[in-house]
Amino acid sequence: MSQTANAALRIERLRFGYDGTPILQDIDVAVAEGEFLALLGPSGSGKSTLLRLIAGLESPGSGRVLAAGRPVAGPGTDRAVVFQNYALFPWMRVVDNVAEAVRKAKPTLGWPAARTQAAGHLNRVGLTGIADKYPFELSGGMQQRAAIARALALESPFLLMDEPFGALDPVNRARLQDLLIEVWQRRTPRPTVVFVTHDVDEALLLADRVAVLGASPGRIIAGFDVPFERPRRRAALFGDHRFHELREAIAEALDADTLARLDAA
Amino acid sequence: MTTETSILDAALGDTGAIARHAAEPNAAASRPVPFAWEPWLLWLILLGLWQGIATLIAGQGNPLLPPPTVVFDALWLSLPELLTGTWSSLLILAPGFALAVAAGVGLGLLAGTSPRLGRALFPFAKVAAPVPPTVYIPYAIAVLPTFHLSATFVVFVGAFWPVFQNTVAGAHAVEGRHRDNARVLGFSGFEYLHKVVFPASLPHIFSGMAVGLGFGFILLTVAELFGANAGLGRFVQYYADFGDYPRMVAGILYTGVVTWAAMSVLDRARERALFWLR
Repeated sequence: MSQTANAALRIERLRFGYDGTPILQDIDVAVAEGEFLALLGPSGSGKSTLLRLIAGLESPGSGRVLAAGRPVAGPGTDRAVVFQNYALFPWMRVVDNVAEAVRKAKPTLGWPAARTQAAGHLNRVGLTGIADKYPFELSGGMQQRAAIARALALESPFLLMDEPFGALDPVNRARLQDLLIEVWQRRTPRPTVVFVTHDVDEALLLADRVAVLGASPGRIIAGFDVPFERPRRRAALFGDHRFHELREAIAEALDADTLARLDAA
Repeated sequence: MTTETSILDAALGDTGAIARHAAEPNAAASRPVPFAWEPWLLWLILLGLWQGIATLIAGQGNPLLPPPTVVFDALWLSLPELLTGTWSSLLILAPGFALAVAAGVGLGLLAGTSPRLGRALFPFAKVAAPVPPTVYIPYAIAVLPTFHLSATFVVFVGAFWPVFQNTVAGAHAVEGRHRDNARVLGFSGFEYLHKVVFPASLPHIFSGMAVGLGFGFILLTVAELFGANAGLGRFVQYYADFGDYPRMVAGILYTGVVTWAAMSVLDRARERALFWLR
């Protein structure tokens, strides 16, 4: 891990557990401003818990999380979150779901103006003409697009994503990966992204850096810089020997961790 | 048919029906329901049985079960009186029930989201809620200045607890992802209550309203037996004093229809309010 001195996001000696069972141990991470970090790990590695700690939805047992230099004490609109299960409010129109976020970013805005801006955010994620629909009228992929639009509407310096494309079919998944990179790159300054996934290819396609977590208890067992230039193309990536070396190295790190745990048991 | 029977099931205390309903909401509503002849068959059989038994009993000179034709005659003749009675009953039921829903939902949402308020209220609710509200009737009539006021109060008490308890259950059952989202979006306490907890609790709230409305009707008619000079319960009680069995049966049937109509209105409101539940 490169310990950038002026990191936008810094996690220091963080521990977390439930009822004496350690979930996360000795987590030290620093993410530079505008960096895209992937948290990669098997189930049980506490990667989602780590994201919830950054979001402020959980409080650390010890250690701390610093966002823009300030200790995280709870959730805040400076850290937008996209969850896996397209967590739109099902009783609100799609546009109102996004407008709620617009209103948080710009509290002085009236509802009509907030709705107009929300429709704009929806357009930017490829959702046109569905603003007045309800979430249940949308496919899973479209709901997740709307969830991304809502996160972007908060205009937060941090974007936290918890396996956001995990429930999508491969075609939609690829489309949304491209969309995410597109909207992330277009925004100035670029938000700092923490992206949780268990998919090695997804991590290497999207991230600037990959932190690999081992399981039981969760801790960071390896870190890799992803050297590919943007824009990245899947075909070019699969033809690049560095891609396969990185894949191999990550798999080895995970295997070694699993074997060590089996030996211990 | 699930959607149509659910509210009645709920009113009859069939918690299984509520659970089933929550599990597969609107499953029946989305596709056209084919014509079902079974209920009509049952109606016909019941009517035939009624006619048969009534004829048998009447042959022995017993007036206790008048035949359908006589009862429908009595119903037709008493319709003006019954309609006035319905109005008088509704003037008790509607404000009592409306107040119970307003207070039950409001307090339920607060007690369901504030641990402190919950700790204060739940022990009291545990003792007060199971008291059969019928026992309040004589006292309410003695203490409150008018019969209308005491009956309204009793309807209120009877409908309040089911609404309150179901609202609390609904507030406790708000899904973690909705809670997380509200927190991430920085919702204030009030925003969280009215934009998240209230809509998320609506399925529970409607279950509570159905039970409360059922209780409301029971208490209304019982209260009217005690001291009303008009109303549905009063109608049956009045003609019982004269031994006018056709009118008594007509009154019972008519009360059933009114209750069914009120439940249907509530069911319709539920379907409209919970359209997003898939």
